[in-house]
Amino acid sequence: MLLVPKQLRRSGMTGDVPYYGGRFTPAQAYAASHPSHPHPQPAAAPAAAPEADPLPALQQLLDTGVITAEEYQDLRARVNR
Amino acid sequence: MGPVQVLVVGFDHAAFSGEILAEFTRLRQAGIVRLLDLLLVARAGDGAVETLAMPAGADAGLGGLAAALLGQPEGKEQTGADTAGDSVWSLADAVPPGSVAAVALIEHLWAGPLTAAIQKAGGAPLEETWLAPDDLAVLEALMNQRIEEELR
Repeated sequence: MLLVPKQLRRSGMTGDVPYYGGRFTPAQAYAASHPSHPHPQPAAAPAAAPEADPLPALQQLLDTGVITAEEYQDLRARVNR
Repeated sequence: MGPVQVLVVGFDHAAFSGEILAEFTRLRQAGIVRLLDLLLVARAGDGAVETLAMPAGADAGLGGLAAALLGQPEGKEQTGADTAGDSVWSLADAVPPGSVAAVALIEHLWAGPLTAAIQKAGGAPLEETWLAPDDLAVLEALMNQRIEEELR
């Protein structure tokens, strides 16, 4: 059977979420009109700073269960490339 | 009734797994969601949308509610609520030409009391969305990290 789709309003689970037609939301408009102060630039790292060894950090992620043994092996292989 | 979600899922072909209906049955029995209706549609290359018969074994009465809600008689002007200025959608936006989709009307039984409580408290929805898979993975990692810290 042929069905002619009709347009329906969008709504959220908790009710109608305001639609601004692609324009700024009030929160965005407020942020645009109240620019935050620029963050101070971080101090430049020493040019010859040695690279941190990622393996202990990986090991810690494994030990604390954040990554699996398989992910550990995969990441370790990437580090060693 | 609780809030009703319209879920439109595309498939490569019209075959429809009974596994999905079985999961809806389980969720209904758990009082989490209720499948109000399920409609299968095919969109031709010229954009025409056609309803499809439900596969063997499925309730033959499925699809009528969704078709009546999401479609309108051919050649008739759209009636109902004025949608000017609102964010709108239609099946034609969701289903690409040359594809098949299942359209489910799902009532979230669990969300009814929550929504009522929010409205009673005078809360106004400002944003409502689902996390993208990448952000979901970040959230899971953060939660795991917190659990690990609590166990120490």
